[in-house]
Amino acid sequence: MEKRVLFKHIDDPEQVTVKGYVSNGGYRAWEKALKSMKPADVIDEVKRSGLRGRGGAGFPAGLKWSFVPKGSPRPSYLICNADESEPGTCKDRELMECDPHGVIEGIAIAAYAIGSHISFIYIRGEFGGPIRAMERAIEEAYAKGYLGRNIFGSGYDLELIAHTGGGAYICGEETALLNSLEGERGMSRIRPPFPAVEGLYACPTVVNNVETLSTVPHIINNGAAWYTSMGTEKSPGTKIFSLSGHVNKPANYELELGTPLSYLINDLGGGISGGHRLKAIIPGGSSTPFLLPGQIETPLDYESLTEAGSMLGSGGVIVVHDKTCIVWVIERLIHFYRHESCGKCTPCREGTGWLEQLISRIERGEGTPGDLEKIDSICDNIMGRTICPLGDAAVMPIQSTLRLFRDEWQYHIDHKSCLVKSEFEFA
Amino acid sequence: MSSKNGDKVTLTIDGREVTVPKGITVLEAARSIGIDIPTFCWHPKLKSVGACRICYVEIAKMPKLAVSCATEVMPGMVVHTESEKVRQGRRAVLEFILLNHPLDCPTCDKGGECDLQDHTFAHGIDDSRFDFAKYRFIRDKKSTFDDFRLGPEIIRNQNRCILCYKCVRANKEVFGEYDIGAFQRGNSTEIDAAPGQEIDSIYSGNLVEICPVGALTNTDWRYKIRVWKTQTANSVCQFCADGCNLMLWKDRDRIYRATSRCNDGIDEGWICDRGRYGYQVTDAGGRLTTPLIKRGERQEPATWDEAVALIARRFKEIKDKKGGVCIGGLVYPGLDSASLYAFSKLFRTVLSSNNVDFRTDYKMLPEKKDDLYTLMTLQKFSIADIEKADLVLVIGSDLINEHPITNLRVRKAVTRNGAKLYTLNPFATKSGDISVDEMIHEVGTIEALINGICISIIEQKLAPSGPDTSRFTAMIEPNRLEDASRLSGIEDKRIISLAKALGAANNISLITGELLTTAIARENIAAAILNLAILAGIPGQGQIGFLSKYANSKGAERLGVMPHLDSRKISRLKDLWGEYPEHEGMGADRLILSAKKEEIDSILVIGCDPLSCYPDGQFVREGIEKLDFLVVADLFETRTTQAADVVLPLSSVAESAGSFVNLEGKVQQFDRAIKPIGQTLPGYEICNLIASELKGPLYDSMKALQEETVKLLEAGDTPELDPVFHEVKLAVEKPDGDYNVPLYVVDQLHHFGHLTEKSQSLSAFCNEARLEISPSLAERLHATNGTLIRIESEVGKVILPVFISENVDNEVALVYRNFSATPVNVLQMRKRRVDYVKLTRVEEK
Repeated sequence: MEKRVLFKHIDDPEQVTVKGYVSNGGYRAWEKALKSMKPADVIDEVKRSGLRGRGGAGFPAGLKWSFVPKGSPRPSYLICNADESEPGTCKDRELMECDPHGVIEGIAIAAYAIGSHISFIYIRGEFGGPIRAMERAIEEAYAKGYLGRNIFGSGYDLELIAHTGGGAYICGEETALLNSLEGERGMSRIRPPFPAVEGLYACPTVVNNVETLSTVPHIINNGAAWYTSMGTEKSPGTKIFSLSGHVNKPANYELELGTPLSYLINDLGGGISGGHRLKAIIPGGSSTPFLLPGQIETPLDYESLTEAGSMLGSGGVIVVHDKTCIVWVIERLIHFYRHESCGKCTPCREGTGWLEQLISRIERGEGTPGDLEKIDSICDNIMGRTICPLGDAAVMPIQSTLRLFRDEWQYHIDHKSCLVKSEFEFA
Repeated sequence: MSSKNGDKVTLTIDGREVTVPKGITVLEAARSIGIDIPTFCWHPKLKSVGACRICYVEIAKMPKLAVSCATEVMPGMVVHTESEKVRQGRRAVLEFILLNHPLDCPTCDKGGECDLQDHTFAHGIDDSRFDFAKYRFIRDKKSTFDDFRLGPEIIRNQNRCILCYKCVRANKEVFGEYDIGAFQRGNSTEIDAAPGQEIDSIYSGNLVEICPVGALTNTDWRYKIRVWKTQTANSVCQFCADGCNLMLWKDRDRIYRATSRCNDGIDEGWICDRGRYGYQVTDAGGRLTTPLIKRGERQEPATWDEAVALIARRFKEIKDKKGGVCIGGLVYPGLDSASLYAFSKLFRTVLSSNNVDFRTDYKMLPEKKDDLYTLMTLQKFSIADIEKADLVLVIGSDLINEHPITNLRVRKAVTRNGAKLYTLNPFATKSGDISVDEMIHEVGTIEALINGICISIIEQKLAPSGPDTSRFTAMIEPNRLEDASRLSGIEDKRIISLAKALGAANNISLITGELLTTAIARENIAAAILNLAILAGIPGQGQIGFLSKYANSKGAERLGVMPHLDSRKISRLKDLWGEYPEHEGMGADRLILSAKKEEIDSILVIGCDPLSCYPDGQFVREGIEKLDFLVVADLFETRTTQAADVVLPLSSVAESAGSFVNLEGKVQQFDRAIKPIGQTLPGYEICNLIASELKGPLYDSMKALQEETVKLLEAGDTPELDPVFHEVKLAVEKPDGDYNVPLYVVDQLHHFGHLTEKSQSLSAFCNEARLEISPSLAERLHATNGTLIRIESEVGKVILPVFISENVDNEVALVYRNFSATPVNVLQMRKRRVDYVKLTRVEEK
């Protein structure tokens, strides 16, 4: 069943206001952290909670914070990554729109933990609603003294600056985000140096996802032990899953980690739409490899999904029913990645373009023998050879379907048409 | 890349164990033992970005191929640079890059020196699996090969571009310019000029030079010749005193381009556009190719024999009748050392005259021995050491304009070392994107400002313990901070903050430039600066550089091409020649004044054009007209050659071997690139011909001349400066009524001296004298770019079009001295510290 921690007050229309948020217990964690905890205590608590990054990579949050060098002469920055652009993922958007103060409180506590006095929230440019909600909430938080100078009389100052992105998927990648925030072209940087050492304006920087930061106040309020009592041993806590695709009730659902995929799709999502049968699932946003119907009992946690050959990613679960041509699905995806490749490193820039040309030709019924081998080999030349994970993200779904649905691909080339005629309407 | 006290790392590359400094990359480690890893986007002077991926290597225990340009060496690393996996990875990258590459090598100017050609050749790729039509970027359908102009000298062909971003990165990282960028995204990315802009910075040519393919080409080289048909000659730039090392590319006595011949001590592989395109002066039309002798009103061609015989006869007559003191010589300090030396030797040993000077565009100079300014120019100074500074103080210099490459080192100190930069100038100068505390002082009050800083250092108790400061304030005026602040117009708290910064700094580079060199008050300012240097702890805590202007100003100083030499130099010359004239010599200003008074009968001018350049054009004309006999050697016809009785055709720098002494005092040899054009001769041969006719040759052989010259140059002393304070007197001149806008005669950014206007490429950037003013002054004059303005001083007037500068922000008028059509020296008064002018708009009728 749903386990609402982040979504506890999501249906309360007053939650977006500072008054409503406070009456629901908001900003207590911020006050507690400032008044009774040292930054190191905050980091410890979050470390012990086992909270992992919810943006896709799943890196332990407390550990990331502890990489910020102590006593550096340069300022450090906390950045909330709200450039949610992964196809199939829309959880941060709902958090920002319906619980913006929760995001702010998380940012504030994290900033305090790493000794940052200037923080940013980088919001996806297309997010009209969330941008308005966040800006309004930040204004209120300043007015009430939760941000600004001498917060809660503790002597601690914190600025929070909302920055709107220009509409590029790549800017959700943390180093590209840093470039974009600095006013540069949004292109990834090579690592090392890692942002924790040399990030924004070459200063120590932590970039965390909206959902990750929104979880922090709950951990501070209730303690690490409470948090680890949920989820599994290695993937504690709850996670929001954005369920989309061919299901009857697509929506964001918050579940304890480790809940079986079937529960999300069938019990909460109301099963496959149109009375069709399940064909495949993308479990963690469009960048993750496909799962097959036989894997529907896989628990939704970091380790189990990796074991199943895919990834938890951002938690964007995309369901595909059996009246869907897989070549068509992949064509949509590669079009997206080609369009969003930043153009910095050669394999991704050139490879995604070539892949799109090849896959479109197959989809149009103009594929030639050898195209599949060529696609596979191009994918090999991109995988693991790019600066940032966009290249990997582009090829993982392709290679996964080449393995899982080889017959459909081959049929497309041999018969110049789909093995499975798509039976659904799409916008 | 730091390698602090023995911090070394040992690793294995291709089976060879190598120990390298910690912190360097695998690529650099491999190169250090001669293993060449291919690169496109890597550049030794830029930060690694790991974009092109061609430099893959395989490192044991790492599952993925690593980009060697961005992988730091680690102890015990085992690296393979040529394994099958590596070669496969590189082939894949080349396949990707070549997908849409036009392969138009037969018509591409980069052919033969293209990294993409070379790496493809090395990896044996002769087929592509890409079976789609190649993507074409087309911006301008009218021109061939999709060529698109990005700036006066840069053409882009986007189809050839492999998106290594080196041009964009260098522009930003090294030059601080933002006029080129990437547009669009992914494989549609294009390199283009910023919207509505052209790429016309002083460093623009470097963007072409570092392009690994033929995407950026410059107009001088393109479609003219294949690189393998050319030969190269080592050269040194003649268009400022930085001394950048150049390579001239030539075929059969024609030069096709100049590129950098990287010298890490000076230029680090970057050259400015003056240096890059200035070579075109040699080939420009209109060179003087034969001697000319004035017969009646006309100058008619003559042979060298006739010309030299005439010169010798007239010089002899004058010398016999009135003495050699009635003959004088003016020489261009951009000539090679041997010519400068031969010039001095001709005057002092053959004509027995000390009237020689190389300072032909300065105002009245103090004429005495051992002047403080000259002592300061002899101080040890190193361009490379600037980058170690934690504070750079620039006094009286538009550095980017005067010394574009030294400016890069200052920028590097700021961007890489976090140095603080302060500038003290009478008008704002371009500092690019770096943070600078720019103090724009009232014109002609620099010594007051410097005194203010000195006083603050003492008041803040930051002075070093050695020098006795008790009497200091009695020696200077003004001697109170508030007076210094009021006179200079700089708030006292800014002066104090600079004083504190100087006190806190451990390594200061103090740099001065042309605004000081050419100032009448330079001796006084030099004294003020010396006081400041002592109080800032220099030389113990840094260095001081009085930067000379011309390519061989320093050589001219060392060789003694000045009327007054110190006793050590005189005795050295006496030893060498067995004689030295006793009489007091005359510098440029007194020489012209004496000509006007008919005390000087003849002047020999080599390479300069005082009629267009020496301050107060009218004064020079009156002097020159009174001469009995004027001999002028130059590359082109100038106002001064027009007035000459004998004109001699001079060779350019590219036409003879020689040496220059750069602003650091480094003696740098350069080769002859092509044989002299027409009957031109280098300066030393001209001097020798005259000497031979009069008395006997100046030297037995070229070798002997070179040896004598080098001996003198290498005897370059660096006199210790006593840490003793000097008196500083205040001499502020007030503007006179209507004439109230301060005038500065400067070089246009893309020009230098009177020769560069002959370079076609440099003229493409700017080909006319202009009046450069601030936007606010332009608004007051109701002027936009190109509006004609009448510039009047008490002595002359000129009409020039306006150029509104983004940099200048106060009320000053800058005019360019580089264009023969409009000599602006008519506006200057030789005795004035600051010239003031009146500006009025020329109303259209």
